[in-house]
Order: sequence, then C-alpha cells, then structure tokens
Amino acid sequence: MTDQKSNAPKVHHAAKRYAQECRKGQLSRREFMTRATALGVAAPAAYGLLGLAAPEAKAQTPQMGGTLRIQMDIKAQRDPRTWDWSELANVCRGWLEYLVSYERDGSVQPVLLESWEANDDATEFTLNVRPGVKWNNGDDLTAEHVAHNIERWCDASVEGNSMAGRMSSISEDGKLRDGAIEIVDDLTLRLHLSSPDIAIIVNMTDYPAAVVHPSFTGDDPVANPIGTGPYRPVSHDTGIGAVIERNPDHTWWNEGNGAYLDRIEFVDLGTDPAAWMAAAEGGEIDMTYQTTGDFVDLLEMIGMPATEAITAATLAVRFNQDNAPYDNVNVRRALQMAVDNQIVLELGYNDRGTVAENHHVCPIHPEYADIGATPFDPGEARAMIEAEGLGDHEFELISIDDDWQAATCDSVAAQIRAAGINIKRTILPGATFWNDWLNYPFSSTEWNMRPLGVQVLNLAYRSGVAWNEAGFANAEFDALLDQANGIPDADERREVMAQIQQLMLDEGVLIQPYWRSLYRNARPNVLNAEMHPTFEVRYQSYGLS
Amino acid sequence: MLLFLARRIGVMLFTALCLTFVVFYLTNLPAKLETLAKTQAGSRISDAEVASWLDRNGYNQPMLTRYGEWLGVVPGWTREEADGGMTGRCYRLADISEPGAAPDRCGLLQGYWGNSTRFRADVADVITARLGATGILMLWVLIVMVPMALLVGVLAGMREGSRTDRSLSTFAIASTATPEYVSGVVFIALLASSAVGISPLLVSWGVIEGPVLFQGNARSALEKITFWNFFLPVMTIALYGMGYVARITRASMTEVMTQQYIRTARLKGVSFPNIVLRHALRNALIAPFTVIMLQIPWLLNGVVIVEVLFSYPGFGWVLFEAAANNDIELLLAASVVAVVVVLLTQLISDIGYVYLNPRIRIS
Repeated sequence: MTDQKSNAPKVHHAAKRYAQECRKGQLSRREFMTRATALGVAAPAAYGLLGLAAPEAKAQTPQMGGTLRIQMDIKAQRDPRTWDWSELANVCRGWLEYLVSYERDGSVQPVLLESWEANDDATEFTLNVRPGVKWNNGDDLTAEHVAHNIERWCDASVEGNSMAGRMSSISEDGKLRDGAIEIVDDLTLRLHLSSPDIAIIVNMTDYPAAVVHPSFTGDDPVANPIGTGPYRPVSHDTGIGAVIERNPDHTWWNEGNGAYLDRIEFVDLGTDPAAWMAAAEGGEIDMTYQTTGDFVDLLEMIGMPATEAITAATLAVRFNQDNAPYDNVNVRRALQMAVDNQIVLELGYNDRGTVAENHHVCPIHPEYADIGATPFDPGEARAMIEAEGLGDHEFELISIDDDWQAATCDSVAAQIRAAGINIKRTILPGATFWNDWLNYPFSSTEWNMRPLGVQVLNLAYRSGVAWNEAGFANAEFDALLDQANGIPDADERREVMAQIQQLMLDEGVLIQPYWRSLYRNARPNVLNAEMHPTFEVRYQSYGLS
Repeated sequence: MLLFLARRIGVMLFTALCLTFVVFYLTNLPAKLETLAKTQAGSRISDAEVASWLDRNGYNQPMLTRYGEWLGVVPGWTREEADGGMTGRCYRLADISEPGAAPDRCGLLQGYWGNSTRFRADVADVITARLGATGILMLWVLIVMVPMALLVGVLAGMREGSRTDRSLSTFAIASTATPEYVSGVVFIALLASSAVGISPLLVSWGVIEGPVLFQGNARSALEKITFWNFFLPVMTIALYGMGYVARITRASMTEVMTQQYIRTARLKGVSFPNIVLRHALRNALIAPFTVIMLQIPWLLNGVVIVEVLFSYPGFGWVLFEAAANNDIELLLAASVVAVVVVLLTQLISDIGYVYLNPRIRIS
C-alpha cells in the first residue's frame, strides 16, 4: 500500500514546518504523521521530511493460505453509507475498499487513491485515482466512479447517512453542490469546497466511506458483492457468523501485498465475553474483535497475547443542557469538580488508558492545546450545588448495562455521592437504553476516535447537529470552530483550539474522564492483526505464520 | 375422539390468537416501534427520520388494522413509489414492485409469516432452521433425561425410606433445585476451563491432549455435533428436568408399591425384581408420562438460557434475539410455535394416558 509514486517535490509548505517542529521535539512523530499525510504528503515522503526511512511494514511475511476465525458481532447488512457499527464495515473490507485509510501510526495512507494534494487554504483538493484498479466484475475504477460515491455520501435524504455530515463542505441542501466535483480526466478529480475543511480526506477513512460500484443499489453489499478487493463473501448469517473466501476470479490491484488467508470466518458469540472466553478455551476462535476489562488478561493467560491501540476513543458522561437542572452552568461545573478523572480511569476502565480533561480534545490530536484540567474540589462542588438551591435534589445518571460503561458511570456517581450530592444510578438494558438515549438528562455516550480534534467537536458539540446529545448550543463556540476548520496549519489552529477547549471547560459541557486504550487478543501465529484505533479488521492483510 | 381432537384444536387456535394479540400489542407500543426504527435505520437518526421510517414501512396504521394484516384478514398496505412501481406489505413479501402483481392479503392465513427485521430474512426460514437445531438438542436431552429420571425414580420408590431412596432423592432434589444458569456456569468452570476445574489436572496427568475436557461453547455443534461440544448444554438442561421427573416417578412408585395387589404378589412368592418390573412399573409410569410431556414446553424455557449461554443458535436463542431487537413478526411466529408445542404435547399426553390406563376414556 506504500508503492505510490513519490510526490515529494510538491510537499505542502505546512508539512515542512511540521517536520522542523518534530525534529525540535515540539511535535510527536505520530502527530506529525497525521498532519502531514492529511495534507497529501505520502507517508514515505513524510518520514523523509524527518530524515527517516519509512518503517518496514511487516517484520514477518505471513505464509499463504489458512483460515482465521474471528469473534465479532454480525449484524444485518445495510447500505454502507448508513453503517452505524464498525462491525458492519469489517465484514465487507475484503471486497469494499476505501479511497484512503487511517493507519496505526496516525498517518493517512492512499488506497484506491494514488495521491492527493490540498491547496494552501484547504479549499481545493485534487484526488488522483490509482490506475489499474479493477472491480471484480471486470470494470476499471475511474474518477467517475469516485465522483459517484462522493455524490452518494452527500445525499442527506437517505435516513441514517452519516457521511452527509462529513461531506458538508461540498454539499448544499442535503445533496452534492453543483460544481463541487470537477472530473479532470479519467483518473483525476478535483473537489471545490465551499469553506476550508481540513478533515475532508481524513473523513474518507471512516468506515461508512466504503467505495461501491455504480451499479450498487439497495442495501445489501453482501448479496451484491461487487468491489475492488481480493475477497468475496460465502455466507452471512446475522447473529451467527459470516464466511469470506479469497476471490479466485479477480486480480487485485495490490496482488502479492496481502490476501494471504484463504478463508476468514467471523463467529458471532453474542455480547457476553464469558462466551468468547469459553470458545477461545475450546480452540474455536483465533482472535477477538475487541476485548475489554479483565478479559484482556484472562485471554492472555490462555495463550492469546493482547495488542493495544492508543486512541482518542472515550466515554462522554454528558449533561443534556435542554433539561433542568443541567441548563445551569454552575450545576454542570460543580458536578465536574466532584469527579477525579484519575479515579474514574482506575475503577471504570482498569487504568487502561490516559486521563482526559473534560474537553474532548486528546493529546494525540495534532491541534491539542494543553490548557490544564478542571480542578478536583468536592467541597467546592457541594457548596456550588447548595448555592443553586439543589442541596436536596436527587440527580440521576443513566447508563447502558455494558460492563465498562456501567462501571465508569458507577465511579462517577460514587464520587459525586462522596462529595455530599444526592445521585441515583440507573442502568438500562440495551433495548431500552437506545430508545431515548439522546434525551436522557445525564447519561453517557461511547465515542470512537477521529484523527483530528476538530472532527469530534464538529460532530458532537456544534449547535443543533444530529449527534449533539449534550444539547450544547453556543454561538461563540460555533464561530471559533468554523475558524479552526479553515486553518490547515495545526499550530495556528491550536491557538483557536485553546479558546475552544477553554470554552468547553467554562461551560462544563461534559465529564470526560479518560481516553481508552483498545485491546484485541489473538493467537501468537496470527500476524499483522494488531488492534486498530478505529476498530478496523483489515483481514486482507492478516495472515498466519 | 374426533370431537375431542376438534375441541383441542379449537382451543389451540383460540389460545394462539389471544397470545399473538398480546405479543403484537406489546411489541407495537410506540416506544417499541421507535426502537425498531432506530435499530433498522441507524441508532442516531432523528425523531423526524423515525417518523418517516415508520410511515414508509406501514407502521403508522391503527394497531388492529396491522394485526389484521398480519393475520391476513385485512388487505396489506400499499403505496405508489416515485418511479411508478408499487410497494407495500405484500409487494415486499413477494419481492415485486409491478402494480397489481401482488396479492391483496398476505398474512398467516395465506401462508406468509412475514419478514424478520433482525435477520433480514423470511420468518418461516429462520424459525424452521432454528427449530431444527433446537429439535436436535431436545432429542438428546430427552434421550439422556428420561431413562435417567425413570431409573432414579423407580430405584428410589421401590423401597421407601431405604438408604438408596434417601440418597437418590437428595440427588434429585439438588439437581432440580439448581437452575440452568447456575449449573451451566458451574459446568463450564468445572469442565471447560483451562485454568480452573478438572481440565488442568487431566492435562497434567496426560489424560487429554487439548487444553480443556469439554468445550464450553456449542457453536461448532451447529456444523458437527460431537460428544465434546454437545455434552455440557445437554447435561445442563437434562439435569434440571431429570430431578423433577424422578421425584414424580418416585412418588408414583411408592404409592403403587403399597397397593394390595403388590402385597398379594409378594405373599404368593413372586420375586422382588419381577414385582417391580412386571406388576408395578406400568402403573407407576402413568404420572411420569404426563409430567414428561408437560416438561417439554417447560424445557423450552431452559433452552433460552442454555442456548444463549452456550451460543447455540436454536429456537431459544432466536426468541432471545427477537425479544432483544423487538423483531415483531419473528416474536409472533415464535409465540405461535410455543402455543402449538404446548398444546400438542398435552394432546399427546392425554391420548397416551388412555393407553396406559384403560379405565380412562376420551369421548
């Protein structure tokens, strides 16, 4: 996936500046990789800017052949752009590929694109489609096909199409804006953005952005598996499992660089990790999709070492500001002050992560500004709650009955209680929880990571957006965010970001206790299957030794 | 006899009708429909999108109308599509869009069981496939449970108050007092874990090669049943039912053993094994026979827990999945199946009774 032609001569000017900072130690290498590659600098070139050789992708080449059995939920398939679980995408990764991919080192790598360039103010992106890519029905992949997919992503009239929100800078009235895509030639297209958007390429790494053939309609990519990848589905039974095999009638563009396995069997063993454990003990699975809590160690004990991905995934214990008493900023801030995030991390997530600072921007995000955290002061918290006349009020924290999410909320509530504030804990089963979860006054939402800090803020805290269950509506915040979205240079953006983060703290938007590390366990002979920060199961590059 | 059968079938239909209406009502409460829309169209969709999804999929009609649609006594909903084709309940079930091509009514009476929203498949296919899997499990459960229960019950009831009776009764009470979710977990910990229980011991003694004695997960039994992957789920269900049946057999046996004709036989010098086998057994089996038959629908309860615990996708597992995902038509079909199973086993037990006890007549 790295054999693209070098575009080092046209390196984005900001990328060169990042490289300097990275060498000076002002910037971590991971942050540098995310920033530089988002601007269209190829990963080897980006490493080159640092004066380093790109690391060898694989220490050990897997042998050809073999079957890998993976524990993962198998949900009923639907139109890729409406996917709401990474599992849905993972099943199809063998034949539906992406334009670009987000890598474990934080870089964005070209897949079906060969390269891309941004102009200086991030309002125009030129995408170069990889030549020689064929669909498994024999068609060539063209710029037209890519444009068709981008148009599909922009269509907000499709229920649950989450790509529409990610493509807002090229959309208008819920569909692709006229003239937003210019098809230059068969393999080149240009995006004209209505406002600067540094995240547009990074957004195309997200799991609903799978590239489908123009003939794809309806909502089942398994029944109609036309794709560019080396595999094809054999069977797909919701709740039971799915089987994928190498497609013998198709020559993959990346032939020789993957597709080692003959067969991949996904096994859906339900949501109880104890059942996975029993299956692993009986030798029925080789790896887990994701392992949480004590089961990371338990599976290691039975000979399945864990791999870790450090991420900006988190649990947002948010207030809903449309509900009293959480419309009162002092109440929100008081509850924040009653909670020591370090303790929540230890009790709620077994200390498997890093402490966060209640503003939902992570140190691994390139534009993160270190502005300190909410002070921990239970005495002051109690005083503030009493000053608001809520000394006898009983707060209620609602969570789903998921293991670590419930434990995290338990430890948040326990600390609030310890500060002398009445609080009730309610744990709801999934079927009930999801019904009304956007409107619970005080509840928690699991957030997966996004490569850039502005991305989650755009999705979750901008006034009136669909995923804003915090009910946060603040014109100043929106304006600052707009400003940040137009600054391709992360250092300049950091100045705005510092204001944004401070605003999040001043407004007491949420208790965001920690950044999760993610884990996956696999047998020692499974290669290249390390945990991915965005839960990807890229089985086309997995193999057995 | 025919009248009896007809009455029984009438009761069955009426019960099924009542039960499905209750299930239909509960699964069609507005909040439940909202859950359904969210699981189908994405958990983050807005209220307006929920409303439009429900409208487009025919969920916004009065509940009774839709129950009638499901039964097949009311014509299914239809709507003209923008491209000139038609859509509607019957169009979707038959997978056609040409106007007028689909039948008017398409419910249970016409043989349409509907579509499962959780599995995106025909309900009839889902139910038959899963019932088949449960059938195999139940077959093995009965093969293990019935002989064991009868043996324990008869041995215990032969001589009331003896040491054999006391110890077997204790065993039977203990096994029936342990619910499946307890015995299943204990079994897994004891027999299917490489860290605790007896498997590590057996490995260190070199008795077994693999890391565990039995498999604590029965998923692989779906493709190929082996003693090692099927033993634990079968035993978990069988043990629970066994204790109960054994207790009934014992009670029935002790009662028979105090009868006058048994005493007469003993006085005439018939050997004890002969008395038990030839004179007491048949009379003692009348009560257990009914109980075994009634036990079958009761075991369906246990099947839900055991199938979920051992991830064995059978009928109980499907019931669990359908309930957890508010899969309306699948739940309805499952309740019809449950009613049929309950009443059919009762029917068999009533008829079987006549053959075991000639004094009872069905008329």
